[in-house]
Amino acid sequence: MSGVILTTRDPSGPPIDMTGVLPERLIEGGREALARLMLVRGRGRHRLDALFTLEDGGPPGTLILRPGGAMLDGVGAGMTAGDLQVEGECGAYAGSAMRGGTLTVAGSCGAFAAAGMVGGCLRVAGDAGDFLGAPLAGGTRGMSGGSAVVMGNAGDRVGERMRRGLIAVHGRVGSLCGARMIAGTIVVGAGCGPDAGQAMRRGSILLSQAPDAVPSGFVDGGMNDWLFLDLMRKELIDGGAWPSGFPTAGTRARRLIGDRSAGGVGEVLILSTA
Amino acid sequence: MRLNGVHIEDTFAEAFPMLGTRLVITADTPAWVQAAVVSMTGFATSVIACGCEAALERVLPSDETPDSRPGAAVLLFAMSRAELAKQVARRVGQCVMTCPGTACYAGLRNGPTIPLGNALRYFGDGWQIAKRVGSRRYWRIPVMDGEFLCEAATAAVDGVGGGNFIILAADRRAGLAAAQAAVLAIREVPGAILPFPGGVVRSGSKIGGKYKGMIASTNTAFCPTLRAAVPASLVPEGVESILELVIDGVNEAAVGAAMRAGITAVAGQGATGGVVSVTAGNYGGKLGRYQFRLHEVMA
Repeated sequence: MSGVILTTRDPSGPPIDMTGVLPERLIEGGREALARLMLVRGRGRHRLDALFTLEDGGPPGTLILRPGGAMLDGVGAGMTAGDLQVEGECGAYAGSAMRGGTLTVAGSCGAFAAAGMVGGCLRVAGDAGDFLGAPLAGGTRGMSGGSAVVMGNAGDRVGERMRRGLIAVHGRVGSLCGARMIAGTIVVGAGCGPDAGQAMRRGSILLSQAPDAVPSGFVDGGMNDWLFLDLMRKELIDGGAWPSGFPTAGTRARRLIGDRSAGGVGEVLILSTA
Repeated sequence: MRLNGVHIEDTFAEAFPMLGTRLVITADTPAWVQAAVVSMTGFATSVIACGCEAALERVLPSDETPDSRPGAAVLLFAMSRAELAKQVARRVGQCVMTCPGTACYAGLRNGPTIPLGNALRYFGDGWQIAKRVGSRRYWRIPVMDGEFLCEAATAAVDGVGGGNFIILAADRRAGLAAAQAAVLAIREVPGAILPFPGGVVRSGSKIGGKYKGMIASTNTAFCPTLRAAVPASLVPEGVESILELVIDGVNEAAVGAAMRAGITAVAGQGATGGVVSVTAGNYGGKLGRYQFRLHEVMA
């Protein structure tokens, strides 16, 4: 059995909550189970096949959204397995609370992508909005596993309260990157806005250049060799997550330790090309 | 059985189960790798008194190590999981972490684990950092030359200890030459180590002794100088020197392969090289569950 391609019947309408439109539903119940799924759009609830056309296509077990669209919220939310591909852009909450599988977005995605993520992999070819890998509304912990790779830029508060996992943004991120971070790794390829690592307790933020400003609670640990960077680079290069602007050899980096004002021993590492 | 004029006795080596692990140690240069390995495997010849048996398995080139630096694989064996965990923590903590520029990685992935960095992280006094890279977890422990990177845990596998064979030679020079040839051959076998100094034991032992509290005492049956005095002597006429090679391995196959490689090398010295015969140490099948019959090993 091949995969299924979903095409939006009315791309100009109100947002569609895509919660539950997951490849595992296709694997478990087949195309019919997917077609019967009730989705919220605007004020109404509609069968999936009333909102989308369904046709066979793609590898078995794969779900493809063609052409996607910014009105598709919650794409891949809670996903546990399989492969979900968005051929264009998508809205907010892409891959939120995701536990496994792979979600690929060919365009950009909105806010709260990978928010509360536990496992799996989100790959965004375009930009991501604010709160990438941050907690979901009402939650106290951000991303706690898995990986989110954004080839473009991302907004403010990337990795807020992040606990585990990896966020790699090849472009630039906004303010408060890694704020209140508990652990995990954030890699930023093209600089970040002010107050990176605000109140972070542990974890690592890797930068290719010094941030615009760091909170006053950070102290300069100086330059040194960090062997783990070599392991991390190999891993991220293999996964296409190592930003192109980063050095491809060497383990030297300047380390800022903080946020000491919050009792934190996290680090902002500024990689050296020397 | 006779190989190149060397008599291979129809007997068996008796070996016993152990728990083992492999560690990969890297450093900035091969010399610092060697310094760490020598220190870490020091006084690790026999579980009788050392707590564990350990030795260099093989030197690793840069392209085979996790961090692309010079490295070495070391095997450690102990009689229980708790003892292995204790010895690993002590030896890595005292001999690898202290050695400039080193890092320590798990060399085995599958199976139940014992703590590695998990046991050493507290040395960081709160400044240690856990870092997950892919599926592996590491501890970054701040030290005076930078950071000691150590994988969180390593797998412990059911290994085999006490594989052995004994070289009976016309004189000490011939025995040593044969033993050294065997050591070189065995070091090419993956998954096996020779924990004794230079890979050779000259003080083979028997179980117990005449003095109270002795776990082991000299193997009088194989002491050439006692041939006339010991009724059960196994030293034939014309033999002045006897050396033993003790082998530990990650499995039965590794020990068997090492014994075969070693005995082949000994036989290569030939009777003209002063090697009279090859035998093996056993305790009538009472010591361990593994038996390596020399004729089967060499078949």
